[in-house]
Amino acid sequence: MNRGQQEYYKRDYAQAKLEGKPFFPYAVYKDLLIATLAIAAVIGMSIWHRVEIGEPVNPASTDFVPRPEWYFFFLFELLKIFEGQNALMPVIMATFIVPNILMVLLIATPFIDRGPERRIEKRPFALFTGIAVIAFLGYMTHLGAGSHGGVGTDGLPLTGLDEKGQAGAELFVANQCTACHNVAGVGAPGPGPDLTNLGSQGQTPEHWAEFIKAPPGGVMPAFTTFTPQQYDEIGTFLAGLGTQYK
Amino acid sequence: MATTDIGPKNPAVKAGEAAFDYVDKRTGVKTGAKWFMFRNIPAETSWFQTLGFTAMALFGMQAITGIILAMYYKPDPNSAYQSIEVITNEVTWGWLVRGMHKWGASAMIVVVFLHLGRVFFFGSYKYPRELTWVTGAILLIMTMFMGLTGYLLVWDQKAYWATVVAVNITASAPIVGPYVADILRAGPEFGPETLSRFYSIHMLVIPGGMATFIGLHLFLISKLGIAEPPYSKRRMAVERAEEEARRAAENERLPYGRREVPAVAPATPEPQKVEGAS
Repeated sequence: MNRGQQEYYKRDYAQAKLEGKPFFPYAVYKDLLIATLAIAAVIGMSIWHRVEIGEPVNPASTDFVPRPEWYFFFLFELLKIFEGQNALMPVIMATFIVPNILMVLLIATPFIDRGPERRIEKRPFALFTGIAVIAFLGYMTHLGAGSHGGVGTDGLPLTGLDEKGQAGAELFVANQCTACHNVAGVGAPGPGPDLTNLGSQGQTPEHWAEFIKAPPGGVMPAFTTFTPQQYDEIGTFLAGLGTQYK
Repeated sequence: MATTDIGPKNPAVKAGEAAFDYVDKRTGVKTGAKWFMFRNIPAETSWFQTLGFTAMALFGMQAITGIILAMYYKPDPNSAYQSIEVITNEVTWGWLVRGMHKWGASAMIVVVFLHLGRVFFFGSYKYPRELTWVTGAILLIMTMFMGLTGYLLVWDQKAYWATVVAVNITASAPIVGPYVADILRAGPEFGPETLSRFYSIHMLVIPGGMATFIGLHLFLISKLGIAEPPYSKRRMAVERAEEEARRAAENERLPYGRREVPAVAPATPEPQKVEGAS
């Protein structure tokens, strides 16, 4: 908006106010009506859907489903998009770069779009961006709502499991690894990477045992309460995924 | 003047008015409130323009239900879960207050995003309201952080592990990430201090920031006035009139035969004669 357009808007708005109505009661009654309806809806929802409380916290147990509130599903889903291709960069994309770009764009909107036009059908770029953002957030939230953690806890469809592999698979299922990881089509598609062919990386069982004690990248919680035998079992299981156990 | 104004005033009314005047002379609050309530706004405002007030009303509801919950909640890992159970199952109306606080959080997110959409599609963030948008965007981000920090306080498995992941995500940010995560956790590990730290952030730090920014947001709105919807009848009439005037001006330039108006400026500018230089 150049100086003339700013002056034009100021004059036009002054005219609108001059021909306008007082704030009280004309705006106040509308505001109060909608706010009352919103609060009534909240009370209605809290009566209809009684609030619940889950299992108490047990940091030692790893029987958990790390799921955020619905309004963070879109960020949660970002983790899945950027996970898996390359070790560090993609995770930072989802956890840091993309959310911060979104925040900066949100704050900077009025400095990016400085045109004088206010009618949306005459602002094609803004219209497109608005619809794209709504579609993106809606779709990601929908995806996040659909991905229920802890799917397929009854067992993994793997063959070739020896004694150690079987014990490792049981540990894997019992500790809700499927809440974040997919193995052979069982488990959530994210936020963790698909582990179906983990063994093809050629790492030793000890490597994976160390990995789950202190996962790099920082997103995955550490599993520090297993016995040495259990570490051996789950390490063997992970090292053989896709090669020995498939 | 109504007929009841005849005769001496009720002494109680007189005392009340005197008290009001006393305060007003020293603070201007009466004049200010009068200006605020009876200032003009554009004649036509959309129903979508009530969403900002609704978000603020929900913030107020969250504050009140939050204060009630804080009376019973114990931010200590050994008793947090139990105190939530007591609130939910034993305290009179406790389940309702907790339910309202939880559903209110979701409702607030929804309303804040709808409000954002309204402002965006109405182009209300344009001159002179750019900074109103900036304060609003910061409020939206703070609302999201309220949801994040409040989630842990329930201290059940889902809340705990979701927050572990959220803090791990924070830690993965470059350079400052690990430090911020340590500050959030109150140390390298999740522990008793973590819960009271989240409690303090959720109850004091962010609400304080939000109250400040709501104040700024409101100040800017009342200073600049509520935006007129771009489709108001008045605006449409102005645009029609401007279009008509533009067309009339164009027609005027065409003589009866509707021939092209010859170019005003000649192709080569004539040299200017300097007057008075004989």
